Amino acid sequence: MIKLRQIDEYRWEIPREGKMRTRGLIFSSKEMLPVLQADQSLQQVANVATLPGIVGPSLAMPDIHWGYGFAIGGVAAFDLAEGVVSPGGVGYDINCGVRLLRTRLSREQVMPRMEALVNALFTNIPSGVGSRRKDFKLTGAAFKKALKDGVRWAVKEGFGEAGDLAHIEAGGAIEGADPEAISDFALNRGKDQMGTLGSGNHFVEMGYVDEIYDAALAGQLGLFRDQVTAIVHTGSRGLGHQVCEDYIKVMLKASAKYGIELPDRQLCCAPITSPEGQRYLAAMAGAANFAFANRQMITHWVRESFEQVFQMGPGQLGLELVYDVAHNIAKIETHVVEGQPRKLCVHRKGATRAFPPHHPEVPKAYRETGQPVLIPGDMGRYSFVLVGTQKALEETFGSTCHGAGRMMSRHQAKKAARGRSIIQELAAKGIVVRGAGRGTIDEEISEAYKDVSEVVDVVHGAGIAKKVARLKPLGAIKG
Amino acid sequence: MVHDKKKPEASLRRRRPYRELPHTADLAWRLWGASLPELFENAGCALSATLTDRRYLRRRATREVRLSAFDQETLLVDWLNHLLYLFDLDGFLGRDFQVESLTSERLKARVTGESFDPTRHPERTAVKAATFHQLSIVPVGDGWQATVVLDL
Repeated sequence: MIKLRQIDEYRWEIPREGKMRTRGLIFSSKEMLPVLQADQSLQQVANVATLPGIVGPSLAMPDIHWGYGFAIGGVAAFDLAEGVVSPGGVGYDINCGVRLLRTRLSREQVMPRMEALVNALFTNIPSGVGSRRKDFKLTGAAFKKALKDGVRWAVKEGFGEAGDLAHIEAGGAIEGADPEAISDFALNRGKDQMGTLGSGNHFVEMGYVDEIYDAALAGQLGLFRDQVTAIVHTGSRGLGHQVCEDYIKVMLKASAKYGIELPDRQLCCAPITSPEGQRYLAAMAGAANFAFANRQMITHWVRESFEQVFQMGPGQLGLELVYDVAHNIAKIETHVVEGQPRKLCVHRKGATRAFPPHHPEVPKAYRETGQPVLIPGDMGRYSFVLVGTQKALEETFGSTCHGAGRMMSRHQAKKAARGRSIIQELAAKGIVVRGAGRGTIDEEISEAYKDVSEVVDVVHGAGIAKKVARLKPLGAIKG
Repeated sequence: MVHDKKKPEASLRRRRPYRELPHTADLAWRLWGASLPELFENAGCALSATLTDRRYLRRRATREVRLSAFDQETLLVDWLNHLLYLFDLDGFLGRDFQVESLTSERLKARVTGESFDPTRHPERTAVKAATFHQLSIVPVGDGWQATVVLDL
């Protein structure tokens, strides 16, 4: 078993040992530790610490769980000159992420029409295994524009408003995207998947603000009690998966070429300055922009669905974007390390950026509050809105948790759901859920996840994000 | 193992061709084949059976697959990921998998099946990719065994 040393109530250290170049730092409560120790996630945190050019500790958020190569819930920063970039440190679903929309509607207004709303969303947004759009295909120059410009492209095409751009991480487009670095295989996979939800744990969920922890911050984020909200959770679909796959093969060769020793092949990587590293970053940015645009298009159809069901115009509905965050991404960012500003490549795999007030990358609307952080929970319980903090910037390269984290395998979850109607159980709790397949709904039962409030309490307690509000689900479409 | 009689053709189902291993976030398989080509065929079956109920797939279309990779294990991951690519492209899912030739670096196969139709085919679990994490192919007494972790 991996050695752990307690630092304080929320911090645990894996001391530097053997081939580790740095220590591991885990954010967790004592109660949550046994779950972490039961699988291989801590070993994975230690493995990441062996990679060349790592700056600061190999970090793990409280929702960490066993991934492939890098643990899910891991953060690792690498020096731009001496460090590496690893597709496995981003994941297959490049820029899987979450966006939150607010409305002017109250729970009482929306509840009687929830079933109609869920049905409208289900019709307007393709979801499930192999979901594709019949009405919208990307080709040639337009496709390349989408990969380069992300949400700017979507808005130009009439999906959403220019005002949305300021409320998205990186303005909805990561710079340096090069469509030429993306294979035809990847383009083929993505051509009719823009504007689709996909499957697994992806969803569109309507909820309401049921608790406010900080009234001033909530007010500045435009949130009030009983207000109806919508969350979109999806990523870059098959295009992103293919980009990751393509570059893992490139990196397997590159790791050997540059003499990088790997404790696990899935950690394969290349120096950031190498042609392989640069090309991956350019392809990853393209896939990330595809994902930003995907969430933007889905938002457009969410707005349309509300308009159809409530027979109201955009002004009355007030479906405005609070924020959109990526939780599977590598970003080039400047951080102060031992008093010196340094350019780093920060990998966040199942972790959310959490920049503090007045950070230059935080949009004007949130200068005083800090960047909004969106933490979805499981479909039966609740989700959280937090904001980034100075402590996160100093201690975790401005990162925090991303969700509840699985506790049961999908197989166990399906077993636990056997003989039950999960849809009826949720309906009894006042939550209308529609999914393309029974399988995915069963796999996503509440019991399969850690209670997201425990995860959020750790990051709040440790000071690497600040709780603002809690949202309770009313209805959802599941992939 | 109780199967020590040498009648490979007569007792093809000596072991389960694939089964799930416990893994919290994703899905891990233990695959088996009397030969390496059979191991690869069983991997194809396991993938279709994860996405849908393979028995409902009709033999309507054929895809020829030719792949090359730098070792046997990478070839297995490539094979699964290529099948996922075919699925994303136009919904094609294989019912039958026939590996025509296989070396440690090259694979030639024929896949027969049809496009996924949600009205006829039950939706099971979507797979994002086959990964290199804990990947292995090893000889066992009665054939070959592989471990593959999938990202879901």
